[in-house]
Amino acid sequence: MSDGVAELRVTRAASRANVRPMRHALRFFLEALDLAPETIDDVLTAVGEVLANAVEHAYVDGAAGSVELYAHAAGSSMLEIDVKDSGTYIERSARAGRGFGLRIARAIARSVDIDRSGGTHVHLSFDIDQRRRHIRAVK
Amino acid sequence: MSSDSSVAVITLSGELDVGRADEVARALELPSHGTPVLLDLSEVSYADSTVISALFGFSEKATEAKTRIAILIVKPQLVRLLEYAGLGEAFPVFRERSTALTYLHSHE
Repeated sequence: MSDGVAELRVTRAASRANVRPMRHALRFFLEALDLAPETIDDVLTAVGEVLANAVEHAYVDGAAGSVELYAHAAGSSMLEIDVKDSGTYIERSARAGRGFGLRIARAIARSVDIDRSGGTHVHLSFDIDQRRRHIRAVK
Repeated sequence: MSSDSSVAVITLSGELDVGRADEVARALELPSHGTPVLLDLSEVSYADSTVISALFGFSEKATEAKTRIAILIVKPQLVRLLEYAGLGEAFPVFRERSTALTYLHSHE
């Protein structure tokens, strides 16, 4: 991962079908940062869960809003990703098989912060190990 | 779903995300007569927790129907997905087709 700053911003209508193109845009961005393939897969997995949750709220509120993905890499070890939408973050019910998205994201990212004032804003921070281009300390 | 005389095979491939949730749910159907099922995910390049939800439902139905299932996963990211979710031991996952088939046949 080189020095300097790299940014990606993608906004799409909040639909299930739009999660894939947003994820693909993020993949291209991560590949341009020269990260290890396993790190790229892990980041896409974590962010993919947050994107999936973002589009699910759109249906609860009726009118579909939009979802914005913003990725920011600076220097050799910092990667921050934001997912914002106008819905309400759904805490999945305890029914078997649901509610794993946040757990998966937290297992991969250094931190996952959710701000629910005025829509939902999820901020993920990833530690990138510069030498091995891997995520540091996956729990 | 395809089957030979002894095992039914359900194959899914590509990227299984929330956009394909309905398709995944429809695909995970049990055969009749309790034929063991191989769920072949060897060609799946990406999966999110949509698939985990579907696996729970499928696994429950199989248990109720006394049907043995085996899940073939090749891509390491999918194994990690289950581990990140704390489900590393929750499903009968196999990394090679031969061991999956041996498992499915071993109950007969």
